[in-house]
Amino acid sequence: MPARSDNEATHLFADYDPGEWFCELRGRGRGAHTRDIQKRLGALDRAALRKRAKDAAKELFNLGITFTVYSEREAIDRILPFDVIPRILTPNDWQQIESGTKQRVAALNHFLHDIYHDEKILKDGIVPEDLVKTNANYREAMKGFSVPQGTYVHVCGTDLVRDEKGRFRVLEDNARTPSGVSYVIENRHLMMRAFPDLADGIPIADVDEYGSHLMRTMQDVAPTGVTDPTVVLLSPGVFNSAYFEHVFLAREMGAQLVEGRDLIVEDDKVFMRTTSGRERLHVIYRRIDDDFLDPKVFRPDSLLGVPGLFDAYRKGNVTLANAVGTGVADDKAVYAYMPRIIKYYLGEDPILENVPTHICREPDGLQYTLDNLESLVVKPVGESGGYGVVIGPRATKRELRELRAKLKKNPKNFIAQPMVRLSVSPTLVGRAIEPRHVDLRPFTLTGKSSWVLPGGLTRVALKRGSLIVNSSQGGGSKDTWVLG
Amino acid sequence: MASLVARFAANIYWLGRYLERAENVARILAINETYARDNPGGPSWQRVLDLHADSKRFLELHGEPTPESVLAFYLIDRDNPSSIVCCARSARENARSVRHLISTEMWTHLNVFYTGLSALQKRDVTVNTLSKISHSVVTGCQDFEGVAEGTFLRAEPWCFYQLGKYIERADQTTRILDMGYDRLTPAGDDAVAWVHWNVLLRSVSGYHAYRSRHPGASRPPDIAAFLLYDDEFPRAVKLCVGHVTMRLRDLEHRHGSELTAALETERRRLEFLVGTGPGKTLTPRRLHHYLDDVQQHLARVSDAIGACYFAGD
Repeated sequence: MPARSDNEATHLFADYDPGEWFCELRGRGRGAHTRDIQKRLGALDRAALRKRAKDAAKELFNLGITFTVYSEREAIDRILPFDVIPRILTPNDWQQIESGTKQRVAALNHFLHDIYHDEKILKDGIVPEDLVKTNANYREAMKGFSVPQGTYVHVCGTDLVRDEKGRFRVLEDNARTPSGVSYVIENRHLMMRAFPDLADGIPIADVDEYGSHLMRTMQDVAPTGVTDPTVVLLSPGVFNSAYFEHVFLAREMGAQLVEGRDLIVEDDKVFMRTTSGRERLHVIYRRIDDDFLDPKVFRPDSLLGVPGLFDAYRKGNVTLANAVGTGVADDKAVYAYMPRIIKYYLGEDPILENVPTHICREPDGLQYTLDNLESLVVKPVGESGGYGVVIGPRATKRELRELRAKLKKNPKNFIAQPMVRLSVSPTLVGRAIEPRHVDLRPFTLTGKSSWVLPGGLTRVALKRGSLIVNSSQGGGSKDTWVLG
Repeated sequence: MASLVARFAANIYWLGRYLERAENVARILAINETYARDNPGGPSWQRVLDLHADSKRFLELHGEPTPESVLAFYLIDRDNPSSIVCCARSARENARSVRHLISTEMWTHLNVFYTGLSALQKRDVTVNTLSKISHSVVTGCQDFEGVAEGTFLRAEPWCFYQLGKYIERADQTTRILDMGYDRLTPAGDDAVAWVHWNVLLRSVSGYHAYRSRHPGASRPPDIAAFLLYDDEFPRAVKLCVGHVTMRLRDLEHRHGSELTAALETERRRLEFLVGTGPGKTLTPRRLHHYLDDVQQHLARVSDAIGACYFAGD
């Protein structure tokens, strides 16, 4: 690569080439403000940019905006790597994301109500009954119980990617206890301190109102007749890697932060242990999984939960958010049916499309999958964390042969999708700016109505060529700017 | 805002205690360094071990104490719960649980403070660097105190922070005083003893305060009385106990958290003990026993606070 002077006018982006991928900063239809931002970025001095990036990382550590890994005797705090080049969403992008995620959450809530009540969608044969009933996250105990406002998914994180043509696609729904929103807000604060000049005069949607919206959402779903509900955030405790986020949200909401051991159930009512004795509470924003909520109903070995909590919930004396049993809706197998679920309940086409998904339990889907195995990503349903996924283009002949046999033997267990060519965003890597793949997780809050935090968490795969944005696999995050 | 979760009250109380403890361990090490330097062959580092009742444990783990081994034990030993690094770690872990109740600045300060301390290696810790290290620990703790003063909401959590801080400070002042008890009544020409008492005063940042109270000649018994009974010196035991009483009253009257009868009884006993003193003539023996007694009373008040507020029933 030829040496270039740092003073050259276009120097920072001079070697930047997004190649065949859609670029979040330079792709089509990015608008005048985006060009402004790019120009300002390009004019920054390399060394100064690196220095500011380093300062920002140090500040994250000092502020304790970290996830914590525990070794035998030490708590080790790690920061989620932060990239200083923001990811830009235009007003058009945002309009689509906002209406699309709201639509999706509305459909999820209808679906959950239905499968725990009349089961119309199952009886009408839209979604196979066994897919729902045999799902590990289906909760028989929720049958016939109506949640306040009909809201099951109070906080939803919808994972989106953008393909090579610049179209948004939904990768998955996170309808249980999605995390990451604290980084959205802290990244913004950090960005505005480190680069006040970059955003100067450019209208960027504010993210600071998340906490008060979250509090209002929780108040919206308080048990009937409670006018001034006490709301708490239930955390697994300091050993949970997301504890910073729990602290952050409790503070932003002005709610108490509690653990299971701080709560006690008496006469099907929930109380917390305080310095002046027991105090009744009404809404629990819980950041622990269904399995651990109540050892009397779910896992008996859970030390994180509160014995009797579920009965109090079923009696309507306390509201849990998200509701119990939402995990069935964010399962991979159900995901494949989401376009039909949206159509069924809302009579609308999805505003945000799925990644095209072939359902192998359906003959056409299976045939297509078998015919195109080399180019598809095949995922077992009911698994999470990427376990058992076979990426056709990267698999050996033997792996493909084994997969083919498994598919034929038990097609119900699989779905197949084409490789998604994830969009890229310019990212500071060493001294250069290079394209790196990104995704986006917007957060939707739903009490009486839905509200979407403008922007969301942009995760970036920091390794060259990597498509994996998870923090455990070398992923970082970026500030996400929704332009006005 | 709802009442304070009982467990968090305990976290904040211990946050206050551990930071105050870290500061005082640093003060004690600095005094002893001066003693040892001025008086080769005299009182050694053994004294610090005795003061913390650590002699036996130390001998088993590290053998005969040397200046370096004792310093490492109290500054950077991660297995010694009374080392400064452990106090700072405990303070930080308690703070981590209550990050939503303290200010962001308090957490950040503590985080930076602990990170700096945990970077200290054995080779950094010598008799020659002690003064600098000790000074930075004391300053770090005082900075935290300033941040808390300027940012910590004066609500219920603050009361527990103050309770922890003042109970620990009272306890530590008695320990520091105990470092000089055997020189309480020096012979007229024992210049070394005078120096020691001045060092002791300086170590609690009390030299000028004492001077303004007692212009002219100073007598060790007056210094001891000053550290015990002064109404205005912020590290005097009586003033600390006064703060404990005020915060307990706040909890009861402003925050609706009533004291148990047991706590009120222990509080009164402590107040009485600190109000009356060890008797008219302060002999070394009497002072030593009195300090012991105060420490035990403080521990009983601390236990009663725990039983009253931290159980949550």
